[in-house]
Amino acid sequence: MPARSFLHELNPLTKIAWSLAVITVAFVFQQPLPLLGLWASVLAVALAGKVLKEILPAIRGLLIFAAIFILFQIFLIQEGNTVFTLLPGSGFGRVTDVGLTACTMLALRMLAMTSTIPVLLATTPPKDMIVAFVEKLRVPYVYALMLVTSLRFIPTLQEELGLIIQAQRARACDLESRNIFRRLRAIVPLALPLLLMSVQRARTMAISMETRGFGAGPRTSLRTSTFQTLDLGVIAGCLFLTAALVIIALR
Amino acid sequence: MIRAEAIEFTYPNGFRALQGLDFHIKAGEFVALIGENGAGKTTLLKLLGGLLKPTAGRLLVGGLDTARVRAVELARRVGFLFQNPDHQLFLPTVREELAFGPKNLGLKGQALEERVAEAAAAVGLTPYLEVNPRQLSKGQRQRVALASILAMEPEVLVLDEPTTGQDYREALEIMTIVQKLHRQGHTVLCVTHDMEMVARFADRALVLGAGELLLDGPLATVFAREDILAATGLLPPQAVQLARPYWEAGLLPGVLTVEELYEAIITALRGEKDARQVLPA
Ligand SMILES: Nc1ncnc2c1ncn2[C@@H]1O[C@H](COP(=O)(O)OP(=O)(O)O)[C@@H](O)[C@H]1O
Ligand SMILES: [Mg+2]
Repeated sequence: MPARSFLHELNPLTKIAWSLAVITVAFVFQQPLPLLGLWASVLAVALAGKVLKEILPAIRGLLIFAAIFILFQIFLIQEGNTVFTLLPGSGFGRVTDVGLTACTMLALRMLAMTSTIPVLLATTPPKDMIVAFVEKLRVPYVYALMLVTSLRFIPTLQEELGLIIQAQRARACDLESRNIFRRLRAIVPLALPLLLMSVQRARTMAISMETRGFGAGPRTSLRTSTFQTLDLGVIAGCLFLTAALVIIALR
Repeated sequence: MIRAEAIEFTYPNGFRALQGLDFHIKAGEFVALIGENGAGKTTLLKLLGGLLKPTAGRLLVGGLDTARVRAVELARRVGFLFQNPDHQLFLPTVREELAFGPKNLGLKGQALEERVAEAAAAVGLTPYLEVNPRQLSKGQRQRVALASILAMEPEVLVLDEPTTGQDYREALEIMTIVQKLHRQGHTVLCVTHDMEMVARFADRALVLGAGELLLDGPLATVFAREDILAATGLLPPQAVQLARPYWEAGLLPGVLTVEELYEAIITALRGEKDARQVLPA
């Protein structure tokens, strides 16, 4: 993969450090506005790394997830002043100002924390990630490989799930039922084929790795993992900023 | 039975997979859908099954507009066999697998049992009813998937490459089953890359190339257009290619399969109809 931006050139561990910094800051921030700023900064990094467009579908998925989260939580918080009620007069579906702030904050915190992951994946070739884990963090190669491989198969799984959904709909399997129990039951004909196919694929992969001499002896890698000045600068910057923000937030 | 009126389909990512198709398939026809990989065959079948909705135009199945009715409703009429049977098999026995579809349609008890037994018999799986589908061969799993569709008694069968990845005997078995179903009155639309199978079983062919309908007609007409077939990476069956110069010179009648070619040669040599009995086979 040719380096397309400074993000692509950074050591994978530097990007993970950035990700951890964002998570730390997200935890200490308690207000919606600063969290919104933090999330915006993550998206700005993606934009600077020329991958914003690429990760947009993932961001959209996270947004939907956050929206569902708000919907589930917002009616549960009852303290504070009423902003509006779903059924006026009955007290059912009461939304308070406290609830609104709390839910927005939690949703934004989740968004800021999770949005770094697609940025990480879009700018790092899986191989580089493995090499970085193995050489710099002394993670055993097998574990690093397992982690990275499972991440890389997510898109394949999504595609497969799409096909399974269609195949079961063709057998009159009602996946859109309004009945919640039926809906839960409908997960089985989707999850089982996916699981069985994954097991099958894992077996095939194990065989194909063995036939190519996996685990036969000590490994060497073509490219080594290096920290450049840029990496050190970025890590130092992340550390400094995190420390500053934590102090401000906890003051 | 099936009427397509200028149907188009564009995937969410903007890829235009079908660009305005018009055709009509009458009840009881056996139509082959052919074309190179990526031509849009699977996409067209999914539109027929109501799994995707046309982005323009209308697609009617038995008078129903596939864009309006739910996939569950359409499943009663259109039986869709997917390319990979593993996408739908998940139950511990063949029997339960076959009962899954009709159960979803609301069948119970005796009626359900009968459906399952009939479907299993139709594909020759009666001895395997208590077996786990995962232990069967790819060809057998394909037959389980086919039977699980048949158990819903659809009028139309759409089959996506039912013979791919199987040996000649298994492929022939499946196609023979499909032929039997066709004779019992099912309308069949079948995707395949095997021109010998097309020549042997279908009456008519639709040729897709890059989302457009390149040819539509009886097999003899379609196989005569080698130029257009070549454009979507297809060759006519070998018997057709072999007989072509003789047919053009008026020496042999038009043939589609090896058997027909054999018949024609013997007849031409002997000048009599029942020469087959005279010559050693
Ligand atoms: N889910 C999808 N999203 C975007 N493009 C797709 C999708 N599925 C298929 N395509 C594209 O549509 C075209 C037709 O695909 P398909 O109908 O599967 O072809 P065929 O079955 O004739 O091989 C292909 O070029 C394929 O890349
Ligand atoms: Mg296909």
